[in-house]
Amino acid sequence: MKSLALLGLLLSFGTAVLAQGIKLSRDERGKLMYYEVVDKKDTAASVLAARAKAYFDVAKDLKVVAATGDSLRTVQGKFVIRKTAFMLARPSGEVTYNMYLGLREGKYRFWLTDFVFIPYQRDRYGNFVPSTTIGTPLETEPGKLNAAEWESYVSATEKSAAEFARQFKQQMSAVSPAAPQKKEAPVISTQDKKW
Amino acid sequence: MKLKLVFTAVSLSFASLSYAQEATPLEISGSVDTYYKYDFNKVPNNIKTSFANDHNSVSLGMIDLALKKTTGKASFVGELSFGPRGQYRSLVSGDDNTGSDFNIQNLYASYAFTDKFSMTAGFMGTFVGYEVIPPTGNFNYSTSYLFSAGPFQNAGIKGTYAFTDKISLMVGLFNDWNVYQDMNGVSHIGAQLAVSPVEGWSAYLNVLSGKSDGAVGTGTILDLTTSYQATESIKIGLNAADYSVDNDGGGYSGAALYLQNAFTPAISLGIRGEYFNAKGTDGAADADVTAITLSGNLKSGGLTFIPEVRFDNGDAGGFLKKNLIDASKNASQFSLALVYAF
Repeated sequence: MKSLALLGLLLSFGTAVLAQGIKLSRDERGKLMYYEVVDKKDTAASVLAARAKAYFDVAKDLKVVAATGDSLRTVQGKFVIRKTAFMLARPSGEVTYNMYLGLREGKYRFWLTDFVFIPYQRDRYGNFVPSTTIGTPLETEPGKLNAAEWESYVSATEKSAAEFARQFKQQMSAVSPAAPQKKEAPVISTQDKKW
Repeated sequence: MKLKLVFTAVSLSFASLSYAQEATPLEISGSVDTYYKYDFNKVPNNIKTSFANDHNSVSLGMIDLALKKTTGKASFVGELSFGPRGQYRSLVSGDDNTGSDFNIQNLYASYAFTDKFSMTAGFMGTFVGYEVIPPTGNFNYSTSYLFSAGPFQNAGIKGTYAFTDKISLMVGLFNDWNVYQDMNGVSHIGAQLAVSPVEGWSAYLNVLSGKSDGAVGTGTILDLTTSYQATESIKIGLNAADYSVDNDGGGYSGAALYLQNAFTPAISLGIRGEYFNAKGTDGAADADVTAITLSGNLKSGGLTFIPEVRFDNGDAGGFLKKNLIDASKNASQFSLALVYAF
């Protein structure tokens, strides 16, 4: 009985941790938006631009579609929304977005907006693929039938946006996480007579 | 004891997590469907397209379970179905196939040699046609004559090369249609040219040719499957096909047009119009049939409710009147289906 209570506590704690995160705000158009201004004192705008370019070059789901001088970038990207349960997961759709990046001496700002949800469906080969090419803006009121499902998409988008922001800021700070120390497998001698 | 089990499970989860760093999580998905159908001539299986054949009965479709895993460049898909839709009504073995307690929908492995080239081998959903066996892949619950007459699955090996993100070509060697084992050797060659000329428009030109075990000649199917998402709410689809078997061995030809409108993300209405011609064999005359199917899709979460009405007219249908004896040129039915995807 105690173990069941412990399990319940663990699950509750896990849920609570997962539920923590940001809430998307709205811009002047009423669009949902993740917005952040980051101070990087003593870092030139050109250095920040180079770091951003390096990130966009290797990021698989990001595509730079416009650049205005050195100060503003427009990037298209997507988050894949997955339903997860324990170690299992399956994609239920994707959220495409536009990312805007503004650079100045000693600081930068970025915001993710124009979120559009495209549901996935299983194709004839058992793969999940977009069911349409024209998605639904995330601000859309879902109606009663799909309210819970839609809320989960918004919540997943918030988590994905927060995670994206964390990774992007890490790149822009140019502080790479320490590489994990590779543990050598211990050598055990079978010739040792003191066993 | 229970505490030990909990900690063991947690430990195993962490172990799996560490081990699976280079792999995507195991995907489990599938569907369940059930239906009620009423034939207005009160004839079971009056409209003989695949599945949903029972009259005035709450009947089963199938439960479909699919597993997928990708590790690096390699992946597999295994998909099994249980129930009438996936078992004896899918394959040509018929109702007397009492030994069949499940049906394999997909069982294959793939390897992506590069971003552009991949190879796949195993038993796969056919690349021919618009509709599929799992009801989650179709808008209408009842199926078209083109779907019912064409292949359901092809076992074989195929390579796919993507020239650009808008053009790709698949070429493969395949068994006879719908069989796990080919009794006359790998006998079919198939190809698919896939193009996406503009965003929202995809088109597939398919060919599959070969001599099946026991056939009088080589059969060749040419198939065009295309769909266009015209606006946020309107989708148009087309399937046109011709199948001919040498030595007057028959075949079929036809076309189906699909028009769908989504009034909201949860409510859609669609119509399918089809013309189907069954080619006569050994000098017999052709027979044809036209069919109009009107379906609604009401979605809530993973559940889709599909009310549907269908009208068929023509000689090729083999329809019967209420007395179950006299032939009729018309048949019509009404159905309600529940499809849950997970």
